[in-house]
Amino acid sequence: MAAADSPSAALRRRDLCSRGIRLAGKMRADVVDLLDAYVEQQGLDASASVAVEGVPLAAVERWDEQTGTQRLLENLAAYRAFRALLAQMLEEQREQLGEADAGLGRALAAVLLQVSAFAYHLEELLRLESRGVPGEEEDGPPPPPRLGLFEQKLRGLGVLRELAQWAVRSVRDLRQLAKPSPATGAAPALAESP
Amino acid sequence: DSHPQYERVGADVTMKCGSMDWDAAVTWTVNGTDIDESHLNGSYLILKNVNLSQSGQYSCYEGSSWHLKYQTYLRVGTPPKEPVLMCRSNNYPKGFYCSWHLPTPTYIPNTFNISVIHGTKDMVCEKDAVPKNRCHIRYLQLFSTVKYKVTLTVTNALGKNFTTLTFDEFAIVKPDPPESVVAKPVPNNPRRLEVSWQNPSSWPDPESFPLKFFLRYRPLILDTWQHVELSDGTSHTITDAYAGKEYIIQVAAKDNDIGTWSDWSVAVHATPWTEEPKHLTTEAQITETTSASTSSFMAPPTTKICDKGAVVGSGAVAVCWTAGLVVAAYSVLFI
Repeated sequence: MAAADSPSAALRRRDLCSRGIRLAGKMRADVVDLLDAYVEQQGLDASASVAVEGVPLAAVERWDEQTGTQRLLENLAAYRAFRALLAQMLEEQREQLGEADAGLGRALAAVLLQVSAFAYHLEELLRLESRGVPGEEEDGPPPPPRLGLFEQKLRGLGVLRELAQWAVRSVRDLRQLAKPSPATGAAPALAESP
Repeated sequence: DSHPQYERVGADVTMKCGSMDWDAAVTWTVNGTDIDESHLNGSYLILKNVNLSQSGQYSCYEGSSWHLKYQTYLRVGTPPKEPVLMCRSNNYPKGFYCSWHLPTPTYIPNTFNISVIHGTKDMVCEKDAVPKNRCHIRYLQLFSTVKYKVTLTVTNALGKNFTTLTFDEFAIVKPDPPESVVAKPVPNNPRRLEVSWQNPSSWPDPESFPLKFFLRYRPLILDTWQHVELSDGTSHTITDAYAGKEYIIQVAAKDNDIGTWSDWSVAVHATPWTEEPKHLTTEAQITETTSASTSSFMAPPTTKICDKGAVVGSGAVAVCWTAGLVVAAYSVLFI
């Protein structure tokens, strides 16, 4: 992993991490705003319990023990899933579209763009570590059954909530990644697992 | 033998003298003092509308032989009111603690039972030895959207009560205030003050979970605060201080991304550097300082650039002219 250990690679990684942290921070702020608007315009109860099947959960055990590679791969899988989920929400939004929701549609599209950008950013980080970037599954998960209008709204709530959590987790993950290497000289946590 | 008997404030209590008949001749005592016969109905002791002061050791003796026939320790108290519960994470991401108290005392022993549920999972909140009404819990998961539900039940011999708190992981994050806040004047800079502080020692990993800070400062003579928010670093230079005025300064901390601001730190005082005066006094300064009557005046530690050569006022008193305002305040106290 000579390339991964070179000083320029370390600098590039730190640079990518800092930018990623800023991206994730901005994304989180926008998702939180979107969540507020979504709850209000869809007439939902913000504290409602929502089933989150098919939505990547940010919750993780032993987070501090994860390797850098694990972090990047889990983040990438999550944001790719969110990209698909948000695209679906946008489509559903357009189908239900009323004038009042046009702003919501735009906000959703803006967040979708940021999610795509962040997924790409994560791919860059993985490439830097000479890690293969996992291909997107050709078939993907089967499309979920068509939900009723209310179920769609509740699902949207679940998606945005988890996305907001992920955005916070991603900031933490990138900070871990950006930490300077220990004495071994190998990038911490980015080395192959034993 | 003696066993406690718990009764509510305001209750009517009837004590029987063990197995003695109602018409037996007995003597009742409380804490060794005879109880007047007016409180007796036969051999029964009647206490109406008991109050807290009637708690004590009640004993019943057979009339002639003075054999002890019955003894009980009466404890008058109240059932518990709804307890006050709070949970907070000042050591994120390690875990959180919950602490509780009763709004009013019950005057009898209480037991507290706390349960913590995360989704469907029961978690154990380990009780702290000190302080007593507190327990802590380690996070098993991070970044969960599932809420935590904490239920505290308080039970005593006269009743029980409970309260519940529901919250999510991020909402209860509140660091302890910054520590070791120090404010110093900057030499040759009459409008600057250098402030520095440290992360609270309870925050386990400031590198991975950095804190941001809020500084507030004002001269003692004004009521309105100036605020500065700092996204990194543990120092800041105030550059717009009023020359010669003593300032009060405090700092608060917050996780960069989640939770709420800490309480304000301990306040520190500082006065910006002032130039050594060329003349000792002006009219205004004499008016300000001649009321000072104390000769041993302790200056606050972080501040005074005080030139002992600047002597004002009557012979025995040496006062820094820069501290005129503070001296005026002290002199009001001593006059």
